[in-house]
Amino acid sequence: MAWTKPIPVVEKVMKPFWEGLKNHRFLLMKCNECGAWYWPATYCRNHRNKPFFGSLSWTDASGQGKIISFNVTRVAMRPAFKDETPYVYALIQLSEGPIISSNIINCPAESVHIDMPVRVVYRDVAEINLTIPYFEPL
Amino acid sequence: METHRLSGKYAIAGLGMVVGVPEKELAKRKADLPGHPMLEHAIPSPVLDLSAKDLEAEAARRSIEDAGLSNQDIDGAVHVHGGPRSGRGVVEHMDAFPRMLGLPVNFYYHCGRGGGWGTIGIITALSFLELGLAKYVVIAGSREDWTRSHRRDVREQGVRGQVNLASVAGMWGPTFGRTAAAHDHSMFATRHRHEYGTTEEQFGAGAIQVRAWACKNPLALMYGRPATMEDYLASPMYIAPYHLMDMAVTTDGAVAFVLTSIERARDCPKPPVAVLGIGYGDAQGGQWWEGAAHYTRLPVAKAKEAAFGQAGIAIQDIDVAQFYDCFTAELILQLEDYGWCAKGEGGAYIEAGHIGPGGATPANTSGGLLSAYHLADMTGLSEAIFQLRGEAQERQVPNARISLVTGHGGEVFAPGMCSIHTSLVLGRP
Repeated sequence: MAWTKPIPVVEKVMKPFWEGLKNHRFLLMKCNECGAWYWPATYCRNHRNKPFFGSLSWTDASGQGKIISFNVTRVAMRPAFKDETPYVYALIQLSEGPIISSNIINCPAESVHIDMPVRVVYRDVAEINLTIPYFEPL
Repeated sequence: METHRLSGKYAIAGLGMVVGVPEKELAKRKADLPGHPMLEHAIPSPVLDLSAKDLEAEAARRSIEDAGLSNQDIDGAVHVHGGPRSGRGVVEHMDAFPRMLGLPVNFYYHCGRGGGWGTIGIITALSFLELGLAKYVVIAGSREDWTRSHRRDVREQGVRGQVNLASVAGMWGPTFGRTAAAHDHSMFATRHRHEYGTTEEQFGAGAIQVRAWACKNPLALMYGRPATMEDYLASPMYIAPYHLMDMAVTTDGAVAFVLTSIERARDCPKPPVAVLGIGYGDAQGGQWWEGAAHYTRLPVAKAKEAAFGQAGIAIQDIDVAQFYDCFTAELILQLEDYGWCAKGEGGAYIEAGHIGPGGATPANTSGGLLSAYHLADMTGLSEAIFQLRGEAQERQVPNARISLVTGHGGEVFAPGMCSIHTSLVLGRP
């Protein structure tokens, strides 16, 4: 099926994240000095930083977390999502701490709830040469 | 209480606005309410031969006239807008109202973030006034969302709501169907319901009470359409937990106002509306590790402390509040965060009928963003001016002397959204 949804903007600074997804690896930025985790690209808030993002390294993370809030779209606001309704869009607090948002898939929308444990699912989309990270119940 | 040295030093001397009302509806209202002062601000939507920049120039012209000034008096201008948002540039037009009106300005530039237009415009203008670089500054903002979203080609494509399709750098959510502001803002509602047991009916009570105000304002989109709880519960569930009635209206329109010293404002024909306090809060710094806590409150604390401190007021001094009500959760959150009730009790506070006509905390008396017109925080700002001048007609809060106007918004690079809160205290000297 043709990809008609908005194509993510891959910022240069986020390229390692997107390259990781292609290899089905879920990378977050981790501080080399204090171990704090970040997503998206962020300077470490705990101390002085090396230039640009030099104090941090893209590091394999669990790809797991829990839902902290969500909504269920019943009426699509854009045609590209018409066949997806009802779909769940959720805020996920990853086990390492940062928050990401994505769709919760492979389960009925009614079963989704706050604190639900979830894990990343990779969908390779050849057409746009990207892998999109969705989440499903753990 | 002590006040800040700038508190009351500057005032709003003129207000100009144009608000789109669907064409047939406007004709009916004009026939039903001949000469109603609020309808002087009405224009037919769609705006057809006009665009947002033209509405803005017209609002600016009216604000100068309302202040009893001529274009030659205006020596500063600020265009306010939503800032970098999905698919929109910083400014959406390459022309400016000072050019169209021939205003001899010493400075003109633009600012704003999300729904924080007017208050940020005042902060900007104050620096020039305070430095003696300007005497009269016009601050203006506009949008043409109704016309844009009702275009036949847009509708036929199946596009609903605000029309802003493209993604910009830093924007994360659109790929996942984050296509409407409700996709971000309803996260607050879901989380609040989870933590505090806030009910669907309590969200509905906010929508219904603000609607009741709109029914007293013939300029409001939802004028003449009172709503009951049955109506609310039957309102289409677009993005659960949000019904259509939980979401702001889209509007064409513009608001402009003239800011000057209190002395100069006193020489203008309309009663001055003094700027008593301004505060600003931003959640960006802590957002990522606050986790879930971020989604049950807005960054009100610092904004309130600054604005109320400068004005030397406490919450009980506010006669009428104009909350940024882009969605119903924002009403609940702000009532709690400002301290009208404890955290978690905002739903019950609204359910008791406090914010509607006759309530203890009259709020969003124009009908707000939910039911009147969405001109960002300029909706609340214009309404505060009407209330403090005693020009609010059927919805006038008796002897209103102090009004709070809030703004909310920011860059929406989901999940890091809407990080700002602006707090403006206006008063009748």
